[in-house]
Amino acid sequence: MKIRSDLLRIHQSLHTWVGITTGALLFIGFFAGALTMFKQPLERWISAPAHMLPSVAPASRDKLVSELLLQHTAARHEFTLHLLPRENVTAPVVWSEGESHELQLSGERWQATLNQQGELQAEKITPDMFGELIDMLHRTAGIPGTLGGEYIGVYIMGIAGIMYFLALVSGLVLLLPTLVKDFLALRPGKNRKRFWLDAHNVIGIASLPYHIVISLTVIVFAFHDFFYDGLAEVVYREQPMFTPPAPKVQEPYQVQTLMPVSELIARVQQAAPQFVVDELLFMDLETVRPRVRVAINSAQYILQGPQSGYVIIHPYTGELLDTSMLPTQADAWSLTTTSFFALHFGTYGGNMMRWVYFFLGLGGAFLFYSGNLLWIESRRKKQKQGQAAVVQARNTRWMAAATIGICLGSIIGTLASLLAGKWLFTAADNINNAYLSVYYAAFLLAIGWAFYRGAAVASVHLLWLCAAASIAVPATSLLSVLLPSLRLWAHSSPAALGVDLTALAAALMFVYGARLTARRVNHGPRDSVWSARRLAHE
Amino acid sequence: MTINARVKKLPIRADWWSKTLCGALLGFTLAFALTGLFAWLGPGGISAPHKVQFVMWLIAPLWMLAFTACYFFRSGLQAFIWLLLANGLAYTGLFSVNGVLR
Repeated sequence: MKIRSDLLRIHQSLHTWVGITTGALLFIGFFAGALTMFKQPLERWISAPAHMLPSVAPASRDKLVSELLLQHTAARHEFTLHLLPRENVTAPVVWSEGESHELQLSGERWQATLNQQGELQAEKITPDMFGELIDMLHRTAGIPGTLGGEYIGVYIMGIAGIMYFLALVSGLVLLLPTLVKDFLALRPGKNRKRFWLDAHNVIGIASLPYHIVISLTVIVFAFHDFFYDGLAEVVYREQPMFTPPAPKVQEPYQVQTLMPVSELIARVQQAAPQFVVDELLFMDLETVRPRVRVAINSAQYILQGPQSGYVIIHPYTGELLDTSMLPTQADAWSLTTTSFFALHFGTYGGNMMRWVYFFLGLGGAFLFYSGNLLWIESRRKKQKQGQAAVVQARNTRWMAAATIGICLGSIIGTLASLLAGKWLFTAADNINNAYLSVYYAAFLLAIGWAFYRGAAVASVHLLWLCAAASIAVPATSLLSVLLPSLRLWAHSSPAALGVDLTALAAALMFVYGARLTARRVNHGPRDSVWSARRLAHE
Repeated sequence: MTINARVKKLPIRADWWSKTLCGALLGFTLAFALTGLFAWLGPGGISAPHKVQFVMWLIAPLWMLAFTACYFFRSGLQAFIWLLLANGLAYTGLFSVNGVLR
């Protein structure tokens, strides 16, 4: 396909500039996003057995809930009943005192179970937030601060999502003239830049539909409040947008008349026979509008949430209040919006799809990493005309250092805080604060090192550090088995072992990357930012 | 050579600021109006249950399409003129639909 050269030039600049300005943010978003695909296994890997309360038999759930509501009035406002025992489910019922939907690192949480005498046994804990923090890193790129009840990072990522869409279209325009010839052409060999460009192109084109979905959903996730407000103002006006049905009762319900949970579960199971009921979130029990949000799972259906689908049920009448998020019963509108969520979260095919999304996410991260490196190399090429060897401009060197430091730093930081979850568990007052300090310390140190030593040398060091941190994950598990005196722990469920194995595979990849990079740094062209060897006149 | 043919030969101007501003603002308002038209005239009309969320989801893709389209115009001025026109049409449609169907 032929495209006018002036149009190509414009899209070349557009692609470069949106890429350069958002590349590092999107790298963190995609890397952490890939990890959120396995948020639950990560939580299961890290979860400390010290916090565990035993689960209860299904027959005792009714008693557990009625005892809980009787003895702890705070739970009447909101509590969660977990049905499936997992390492990261520390107790069958969990609730918090006071309400907040923001992430609270030192938020007090209560959990309870029935002891062997059938009495309620409750305790206050600091919940482990590792999974939530990975999710936060994914949504905000680690940018701190809030604005009007929303994280600033979420808005910044929303803007990055807009620019990322522009980058996708301009990248596509650039590729169109040579699409047929270049597609699937991966030319290794002397011309390193050609190889990186080919890899950038093939991953970009092959995962284009995924990237379009991600960029559009990110924009919606960041700005949906404004969109709804605007629609209410301009389009709907007097028309109702969301009208919850008027409450049928005048007097608030009393928890004594609550329907037995076993009956609620049975009703949900009847409405969704193909699904596994995972947990029940009881809300506002002593009001005129009580409800239970039931999380359900199935690998066969698209699911609304990042982990599960949902059904809303009335805790006193057992009436199903909302089945619009249940794929087998939803209408066309709900089904379509559910699929938008599912397309972002990768919740439409169980673990197989999670792995696909994991690799698509890592592929995306590679796209931004390689994009930045390509820009840096093309600067050298541009300057080279008329000069024997290029003296790298300061901004190019800084850009290279920032790319290396931020990208590899976020990986090291994440791995380091995963390890901290086990090694610092006994020493830390609040493990969640330890996660944050360790992440930011490692992240900032990596960036500092990249600027101090220059991108070339630092990239080798930081890649080795990535490899070391990755290998430390299965090593920690192994040590905990071999040396019980360390008071570490390791879980043997397939999910937890999967984390160990994946980290091992990642370590091998990092070693490979470090060796390749070292070779280039020591033997590649001297005037590249990727060379450790100085030019004679420098 | 006709004027038309001569204009076609002129290179496309980059006009970064004006095109970006045009896409960000007029592209957004256009997306809003088109979304509104869909909300009223699309299947089920304005009060179809569960439709609101889908309608909201339409804004982002329409906005992004309009945004990228701006960079294909010959100049920032052209982008402004065409998007203003499209906005005018879309909002005329939306407000008349709003008045008639209410």
